[in-house]
Amino acid sequence: MMDRLYALYMREAKRIFRSVYMWIMLISQPIMWLVFFGSSFSGVPSQVLTSFFHTTNYIAFILPGELSISMLFVGMFSSMSLIQDKRFGYLKRVLITPTPKYDVFLAKTLGGMTRGLLQVPILLVASYFLGVRLDLTPLSLGVLFLSLAFVGIGFSSLYSMFTLKTADWQAPGVISNLINLPLMFSSTALFPKAFFPGWLRAISDVNPLTYAAELNRGMLLYNDPSWNYLGYLAMFALVMVLLGSILTNKYLNAE
Amino acid sequence: MYSIETENLTKKYGDFVAVDHISFKVEKGEIFGLLGPNGAGKTTTIKMLTGLTPPTEGDAVIAGYSIRKNPIEVKSRIGWISSEVILDDDLTAWENLEIQARLTGVRNWKERATSLLKYFGILDFANRKTGKFSTGMRKKLEVSMALLNSPEVIFMDEPTIGLDVNTRATMWNLIREINRDYQVTILLTTHYMEEADSLCSRIGIINKGKIIALGTPEELKSRYGGDIIEIELKNGTNVNVGFENAVVTNGKVRIKVSNAETMLMDVIRAIGNDNIKGIKINKSSLDTVFINLTGGTIEEQDFDARRFYAMIRRARR
Ligand SMILES: Nc1ncnc2c1ncn2[C@@H]1O[C@H](COP(=O)(O)OP(=O)(O)OP(=O)(O)O)[C@@H](O)[C@H]1O
Ligand SMILES: [Mg+2]
Repeated sequence: MMDRLYALYMREAKRIFRSVYMWIMLISQPIMWLVFFGSSFSGVPSQVLTSFFHTTNYIAFILPGELSISMLFVGMFSSMSLIQDKRFGYLKRVLITPTPKYDVFLAKTLGGMTRGLLQVPILLVASYFLGVRLDLTPLSLGVLFLSLAFVGIGFSSLYSMFTLKTADWQAPGVISNLINLPLMFSSTALFPKAFFPGWLRAISDVNPLTYAAELNRGMLLYNDPSWNYLGYLAMFALVMVLLGSILTNKYLNAE
Repeated sequence: MYSIETENLTKKYGDFVAVDHISFKVEKGEIFGLLGPNGAGKTTTIKMLTGLTPPTEGDAVIAGYSIRKNPIEVKSRIGWISSEVILDDDLTAWENLEIQARLTGVRNWKERATSLLKYFGILDFANRKTGKFSTGMRKKLEVSMALLNSPEVIFMDEPTIGLDVNTRATMWNLIREINRDYQVTILLTTHYMEEADSLCSRIGIINKGKIIALGTPEELKSRYGGDIIEIELKNGTNVNVGFENAVVTNGKVRIKVSNAETMLMDVIRAIGNDNIKGIKINKSSLDTVFINLTGGTIEEQDFDARRFYAMIRRARR
C-alpha cells in the first residue's frame, strides 16, 4: 500500500526540510565546489579550454559533473538515516506494524534523492552568478532532474545496501570513502577522459556518473544530448532499487 | 477465548537459549504480567510475539493468528509500548500519530487520534515537537499510538521504568482504564512486584528463559510465598516452639507459615501468653515469591543504574 511508503517518505522529507544544518550543507557544499575547484582552471588559456573541455568556461564544464557528484555524495545520508533509526529503536516501531521492509528501504532511498535534488536549483542559480549561461528549457530542466533523480536513487540504494546489517555509526563514513573518491575520479564529471589510462577509461565507461555528466553536458552546453544515456541511468536506478528491496526484505533487522 | 497462546516458543542466539520452550495462555481481556530477573528472556519473548524476531522453535497464536504463518494479520491486531520511549522527536505529536496510523492502515485516524489525545489530556500539545515533551507525556503519546489501530492485544515492555511515583500511579490507572474502556488484552513485563500485584490478573515468572511459575498473584503467594509471624519474647532464648520453619534469634521467633491468621492462635498457645512481648505479621508478597523462585534478591535485580541511564539517554537523544 502506497500509504505506508508515503508516511515514511514524508518523515524523511520533513526531517530534511527542518534541519538547519542540512540547509547549510546543501547550500555551501556545491557552491564551494564551483567557486574553489571551478576557479582553479580560470587561468588556463581559452584555446586550451576549448580544445579539451569544448567550452571556454571550466565552471560550465564541471557544473553537470558536480551535479552528478552531489547525487553520489548524498547517498551516504540514506544509510546514516537507516542507522539512526536502528540506534534509536524507531525501526522497531515501524517493523512491528504490517509495513513491508522494502518500504523502509524505498523511503530512505527517496529521501536521499530528495536531498540531492534540492541542490540542483541552488547550483543553477550560483552558476549563473559565476557567469555560466546554459540552455535552460522545460525539456532540458526536466531531463536534468530526471537523470539526477536516477543517479540519486541508484547511489542511495547502493549505500543503504552496504549498511543494511550494521548499526555502527562509522559504517557510512567508511563506505563513502570507499565509494565516493574512486567513482568521482573515474568518471568524466571533472575531467574529460582524453588523458585517462586504459583501465581508468574502462571504469569510466560503466560509471553512472559519467553517463549523467555527459548527458547533461550535452543537454545544457552543446545542445546534443545522448538519449540512450538516460536509459542507462534509468536501468542503473531500477537494478539498484530491485536489488536493494530484495536484500532489505532478506537481511534488514530492527537492531 | 484466548488472545495469546504460546506453544513451546523458543529463541536461540547461536548456542545460547534466550527463551526456552515456553507455553502459556492469556485470556481475552486479561492483564498478564511477565516477571523475571534481568536477562530472563522477557523482551525476547515480546519480540517474538510482535514479529520483530522469528522464533527458533514453537509458535504462538495471537488474536487467532499464528505468528509464523500470518505475521501480517498479527501485526495489524497488536499495539506495542517499548521500555525506551520511541518517538520521532523532530516531529510533532500529531505527525507521530499520523505516521503510526498510516503504517497500521487506520482509516479514520484523525478522529481517533483527536479522541485519544483528549482522553489522555495531551490534545493541547498535539502540534508541539515531542522532543520537548516530559517523560510522562511521551508515555501517554506512546500509549495513544499503540491504541490507534484498536488493537486486540497490547505488549508493554517495562511500561513504568523511569517514571516518578506519581506518574507511575497515573500509568497504572491508565493501563487499567485502557484495559477496561478499550477491552484490550495486555501483556506487560515489569521489575516492580507491587506493580504486577496490583495490575495483573495473572503472572508468569520467567527465569533463564523458562516459565517457572504461573498463576494469579494470590495463587503464587500461597504456593511459593508464605506469611511470617514474628514474636518478640519476654525472656529466654531457649524456647522450643515446636514448629518447623521457626528461627529464634535475639529474643525473637520468626515462623514461616502458609497463612498467618489461621495459625496465629496455635503459635501463641505453643509459646505461651506470658512470654510474648509483641507480635508482628508479615503477609506474603510477590517479593517473597520472586526471591524463593529465582534465588536472587529483588534489590539486586530491580535497579541497574547504568543500564537505566543508558536507556534514558538512548530514548531522549
Ligand atoms: N540479539 C541478541 N543476540 C544475542 N543475545 C541476545 C540478543 N538479544 C537478547 N539476547 C540475550 O538473551 C537473553 C534474554 O534477553 P532479554 O532482553 O529477553 O532479557 P529481559 O528478560 O528482557 O531482561 P531485562 O529485564 O534486563 O530487560 C539475555 O541474556 C540477552 O543477553
Ligand atoms: Mg527487557
